[in-house]
Amino acid sequence: MIETYHLSKVYSRGVYALRDVTLSIDKGEFLFLTGASGAGKSTLLRLLLCAEQPTEGTLKVGGRVLSDLTPAEVQSHRRSVGFVFQDFRLVPRFTVFQNVAFVMRVLGVDLATQQRKTFQVWKGVGLQHRMNAYPEDLSGGEQQRVAVARALVNDPQIVLADEPTGNLDPDLSLEIMNLFREANSRGTTVLVATHDLWMIRRVGRRVVGLEHGRVVEVS
Amino acid sequence: MRLLRYAFEEAAASLWRGRRSSLLSTATIAIALFVTGAFLIVTSNLERMAEEWSGAAEMSVYLEDGLGGPERSALERDLRTDASVTSVEFISKEMALARFRQTFPDLAQTLGGMQENPLPASLDVRLRSSSGESAPIDALVTRMRTMPGVADVRYDQDWLDRLLRGVRVLRLVGFSLGGALLLAAALTIANVVRLALTARRDELDIMHLVGAPPAYVRGPFVMEGALHGGMGALAALLVLAAVFFSARPHVLTPLASALNLSSVSFLSPLLVVLIVGGGLGVGCLAGWVASRRA
Ligand SMILES: Nc1ncnc2c1ncn2[C@@H]1O[C@H](COP(=O)(O)OP(=O)(O)O)[C@@H](O)[C@H]1O
Ligand SMILES: [Mg+2]
Repeated sequence: MIETYHLSKVYSRGVYALRDVTLSIDKGEFLFLTGASGAGKSTLLRLLLCAEQPTEGTLKVGGRVLSDLTPAEVQSHRRSVGFVFQDFRLVPRFTVFQNVAFVMRVLGVDLATQQRKTFQVWKGVGLQHRMNAYPEDLSGGEQQRVAVARALVNDPQIVLADEPTGNLDPDLSLEIMNLFREANSRGTTVLVATHDLWMIRRVGRRVVGLEHGRVVEVS
Repeated sequence: MRLLRYAFEEAAASLWRGRRSSLLSTATIAIALFVTGAFLIVTSNLERMAEEWSGAAEMSVYLEDGLGGPERSALERDLRTDASVTSVEFISKEMALARFRQTFPDLAQTLGGMQENPLPASLDVRLRSSSGESAPIDALVTRMRTMPGVADVRYDQDWLDRLLRGVRVLRLVGFSLGGALLLAAALTIANVVRLALTARRDELDIMHLVGAPPAYVRGPFVMEGALHGGMGALAALLVLAAVFFSARPHVLTPLASALNLSSVSFLSPLLVVLIVGGGLGVGCLAGWVASRRA
């Protein structure tokens, strides 16, 4: 599903955020990406979303080279990906419910379906009581759960989650992981970047470790 | 359909959030369309006036005294076969005198002292409306002048041509002025839309990242421009109509009858549609250009 060949990313300051990364992630796999802060986890996820372009090497998703996509294809690729941003990226002007419903709205899904599916995923993240709040009224942990809900609501083919439990206590973290596992059991490929080794052990899936942009361990 | 609804809702919300600057850009386009519309009302009425006048256009062919019946009939037939002639009426010397007495009773007394009737007989010719082509009539006038038995031909329509030319110039001025104001209005709209866009930069980035199609990202801004333009057009039409219909009974109608114009009319439905369409179009275009980098 996801393949990288000698992938490197250099930001403007000349630092290799990723260096010669060759990885293959199967369809339906659940994989943790771990490593210290600055190891390159977020960079790899952003490359997969086409939010950045690789400096060297190639990146394939579903057999297609991402750097060859036209702008319209990039947008449609992004719609097939559920992304949980480390900084949530919620639209402040929308209620949190609208934030989630929006990703279906732009797909032309009718209002009734939007609401049904949003309610469904909303129960999963345990935020039934806060649907009409605005992002700024929510705690970091609550916003994070909204971001998770938005990533899952469209039944994406791939979920890319950047530290999705960074602001949550262990119980909630495991609940979120359960949501990802549920999606995974329905065939979604899941890639979670985290440095939370405790949680990685609890969930017990394949792990790729990064250090200074290089792959250091695969288990 | 959903896209349109989405764009409309978002645009209306954005318009409301920035209602101060929206008011400004709506006002500028309203002024531009008001000026254009006012010129159109004036020029279309003047044009109609010129048409009514030229519809009543007459040419007088004065006959030499003592011209015989057959020669006169030949002249009449000749005139009737001409394509720009609608009717020919013979006015005898006596009829001309009677008419003169009726029109100028004071002068008639001096004339009455004369031995002989000095007024010539004439053929009064009604011409087809000459809006556009004047060449055939000019040709007819020249030909009549050379006919035997014709003393003179009076056809003085240069001023009508001048009027028509004046109307065209006036219309050109109106269009240039309106066009310049529309351009200014388009720039104002584009700036207001760009302002709204800058304020929502973060939001737009998020929309891109969640894969919103360009139409969804840009649509609201194009729609916002269109709303500015449409509202401006409606405002311009309302003010034009208010001014026109309040001035009509006391000012415009008396003016029209003084000018021999049957009535003054407001913009034709086609022009109303064109003005609304113009406003919408300019607004759309401005929004579209402003959201290039959305
Ligand atoms: N936008 C950027 N511009 C410049 N350098 C960046 C940028 N984003 C990340 N980096 C650098 O790239 C390296 C990897 O960062 P990142 O991918 O965020 O790591 P992680 O998510 O594992 O903490 C770090 O050295 C970071 O400073
Ligand atoms: Mg990171």
